[in-house]
Amino acid sequence: MPAVAAVLALLHLAGGAVAAPATADGRVVVEYWEKWTGLEADVMQGVVDDFNASQDRIFVRMLTVSRMDQKMMLATAGGVPPDIAGLWAMYLTSYVENNALTPLDKLAREAGLREENYIPVFWQMCTQKGHLWALPTTPTVTALHWNKKMFREAGLDPEQPPRTLEELEEFNERLTRRAPDGSLEQIGHMPQEPGWWTRDFSNWFGGPVWDGGGRLLLDEQPSIDHFRWAATYPQRFGGDDMNRLRGAFGNFASPQNPFFNGKVAMIVQGVWMNNFIRQYAEPDFDYGVAPFPTPAAQPGAPVSIADCDVLVIPNGARHPREAMEFIAYTQTRAAMEKLCLGQKKFTPLREVSPGFVENHPHPYLQTFIDLANSPNVRPILALPTVLQYSNDLATYMNLLLLGRMNPDEARAALQERQQRALDQKTERWNRVKDKRLAQWRSQS
Amino acid sequence: MPDADHIARRRQRWFAVLLLVGFSIVFFLPFAWMISTSLKPLNETMTLPPRWLPSEPQWQNYPDAMRAMGPFWLYARNSLLLALLNVVGTVASSALVAYGFSRIEWRGRDSVFLLLLATMMIPFPVVMVPVYTLFRELGWIGTFKPLWVPAFLAGAFNVFLLRQFFLSIPKDLTEAARMDGCGEFRIFWQIILPLAKPALLTVALFQFMATWNDFLGPLIFLVRQEQFTLALGLQNFQSVQGGTAWHWLMAASTLVVLPVVFLFFLTQRTFIRGISTTGFK
Amino acid sequence: MTAREKERLRTGLLFISPWLLGFVALTAYPLLASLWFSLCDYSVLSEPVFLGTENYRELWRDEVFWLALRNTIVFAAVSIPLGTVLAIGLAVLLNQPVRGRGLYRTIFFLPSLVPAISLAILWQWLLNGSVGLVNEVLQWPLRLVNAIAGTSLRPPDWLNDPSWALWGLVLTGLWGAGNAMVIYLAGLQEIPAELYEAAEMDGANAWQRFSHVTLPLLTPVIFFNVIMGLIGSLQTFAVPYILTNGGDGPGRSLLFLATYIYQSAFDYWNMGYASALALVLFLLILALTLVVVRFGEKRVHYAGR
Repeated sequence: MPAVAAVLALLHLAGGAVAAPATADGRVVVEYWEKWTGLEADVMQGVVDDFNASQDRIFVRMLTVSRMDQKMMLATAGGVPPDIAGLWAMYLTSYVENNALTPLDKLAREAGLREENYIPVFWQMCTQKGHLWALPTTPTVTALHWNKKMFREAGLDPEQPPRTLEELEEFNERLTRRAPDGSLEQIGHMPQEPGWWTRDFSNWFGGPVWDGGGRLLLDEQPSIDHFRWAATYPQRFGGDDMNRLRGAFGNFASPQNPFFNGKVAMIVQGVWMNNFIRQYAEPDFDYGVAPFPTPAAQPGAPVSIADCDVLVIPNGARHPREAMEFIAYTQTRAAMEKLCLGQKKFTPLREVSPGFVENHPHPYLQTFIDLANSPNVRPILALPTVLQYSNDLATYMNLLLLGRMNPDEARAALQERQQRALDQKTERWNRVKDKRLAQWRSQS
Repeated sequence: MPDADHIARRRQRWFAVLLLVGFSIVFFLPFAWMISTSLKPLNETMTLPPRWLPSEPQWQNYPDAMRAMGPFWLYARNSLLLALLNVVGTVASSALVAYGFSRIEWRGRDSVFLLLLATMMIPFPVVMVPVYTLFRELGWIGTFKPLWVPAFLAGAFNVFLLRQFFLSIPKDLTEAARMDGCGEFRIFWQIILPLAKPALLTVALFQFMATWNDFLGPLIFLVRQEQFTLALGLQNFQSVQGGTAWHWLMAASTLVVLPVVFLFFLTQRTFIRGISTTGFK
Repeated sequence: MTAREKERLRTGLLFISPWLLGFVALTAYPLLASLWFSLCDYSVLSEPVFLGTENYRELWRDEVFWLALRNTIVFAAVSIPLGTVLAIGLAVLLNQPVRGRGLYRTIFFLPSLVPAISLAILWQWLLNGSVGLVNEVLQWPLRLVNAIAGTSLRPPDWLNDPSWALWGLVLTGLWGAGNAMVIYLAGLQEIPAELYEAAEMDGANAWQRFSHVTLPLLTPVIFFNVIMGLIGSLQTFAVPYILTNGGDGPGRSLLFLATYIYQSAFDYWNMGYASALALVLFLLILALTLVVVRFGEKRVHYAGR
């Protein structure tokens, strides 16, 4: 009967939809899921194409996947992971403890990748519990970006960034302007803009929020200072006023980005910011980059937060060796420089080709490289409970910055809840620790 | 009718018309806004005060949005495929099961039916995790199966709907056939089903809508990009890093709504009748 | 049992076998498994580890759970009555002898067919604090009030203000009142005209006719819709999830139990805890449904019973 035939056809169509494991010419297909879109994805695609053209045994297929962190876990948990995944370094601990990744020690050793070739902080971010889990692709560190024109208009020397946090706050007062009806028109600095490193901000006050093991350090002085500093903002500028000002901010990647259109004069941002400035800000947009200052009581080398995109091989990947071949390719100087130059960032490798920095379009690249090599560079917070921590932190910090919660309460609440969540994860890890470590040792 | 009454009635009617028009405007505005924004250039979507009409309708927003979203037609095909599979599965299995609950007298029938009714109260989040692990054990994560196989297992709501309908068909028809020695399945296939066409159409419609609109299922069970449905594809589009392209987002959203609207206009009466009858036990 | 009864039992079970299979695999087994997982620490990539009642103790201490519970109940408590009043009101209007009823009915009904994703994206835009349509419209009455009372009220930043986000969501839900409206309309049309005529003869005015004839006869339909609405709104997930780009809203004001379950299961990979939360949700739905059924049993008027 035609109806039955139709149903059977449908079922056949539905059962499939899983990609073939080999290409027409017999190459092994390596599935690579990456989070990048747009320009950044195109650049990586170029590297992938080079690799595919350079040999005829492996074909890497790159796919842009949104909500990468979640999709990768779902796929790995569901037993159908990709062969390579492009993750953010901050999720590594949680993935490692959940046994979602393949240890890379042996594969990396065989491919000739060594710790000495990398800027220390980036290699450090890829190792956990004594094993190597990932290799970096594009790095970043954070620095102060300031709008020189706004400085000039406020009577400040546009070539002199604030050298201490206190100086930054002085500049802040001078750069802030209000409309006749009292609402804010522009502000020197606010922690919410962009607010991407709130998790790590205590480092500027002297220390991290996590001891790397089972304890959160939110009741230590650095965090106390951090939260109290944030609380001065609603007191000085008004929580609701700041919120209204933020309501008028446009999209990050648009000319209405508050840093581009003169609403916020000083921000903390990563090395990619130059790309967005070139694309969206006015052609004569004049800005400077310098280390984001610490309080005067914390002298020493400049502080910065290092972050990295990394490549991992999920647990249960079908073609780990071929995957590693591609990853090793991306770690060669030529491929890495093509990738990082294309995305207008610096490289995680210690050595660069001559002329790389000079011919690089980023006017302040050397500042970022120096920060990455500074003794006070800190890796991004990679808690096993990173998502829960981030969610809670965002909630409390928002309330604090609206002026609806006081800093010590917020901090104590966060410490209590998140220490419990961390304890739970620590217990879970302790239960399987011996088994896992033995398993990983045997795989290395 | 006395004059005073007549005037009162006319006043009542005018009042009703006023309210109807008022509410219609309120209910229709969001649609109008969605379409209007979908035809604006990006810089006109974020203006203060908001513009009502685009300066020039940007019809190319639609193909642009489809391209920007990624494999739009692939997602659409997936949505359609799943919807059709679910319709076939639901209609077939619900009809069978409803027949069993209504046209055959067997011991314990009504108690089991009460059990079926009770299951309608179980929220999906309760079974979500075990069902996920079940599908994982079966190796079905990464395929479409979790999203259509359950349709062949007869959902409670549709069984309920069809059973009510089947109960209204006179018993003599089936009794006569039975006395002639007809097997149950033949009675089902040749007598009941043809009579139940409007009810079956209603079930098919509801199921199509439900599958087309389903979000949580695809969110959890689909991992491979090439299997995503329109609903998931649209969500990816929404969370693109670097800012929301409202004009494209609205255009894409409109496209996802269109089949639903189209289907509704095609089958209005069946639809409305179907919804109305669900309210009556 | 006689041979014929056995025969019929077999045939009956055969016909309902698809549902039986589904019941066992997708309802009974998951319920029991959920109970088991709720007593364990379970992250899908490792075996479940028995913990006893630890998850439930954690739940008791977890202020985010209580917040989610509160949000869920408040949302249901607000949107069901408002939705019912709106749906009945619209149905009564549509029941009047005016021209173009079909058109009005379509306009009211269509929004309830819109997929959650499109709806949420649209309302995310409509509720935007600066450029959204809702605030643009609200400006006019607010300006009037400000002019008269000398206040300086401004429309709220719906999706960024912890005090207003939930109301924004309620607004979104009200847009879908068309579904219930159609059911009420059918119910209204079942009411015999003679009852209204009799009431009129007794001197009842419009409001009295409504409250003494319409409402009582509508109670079975209201009962059904309220129960359906309760079960549905207590499970709210898709629209707030998409509205907040996968988060839980400002100050967690849009965190509902279903959202927290999803987060615990698929964001934090605490599936044991998620199962405990889910069972609590189930009990909540059961309890509230029973309350409504009890309440309704005495008040619902079944004509001709």
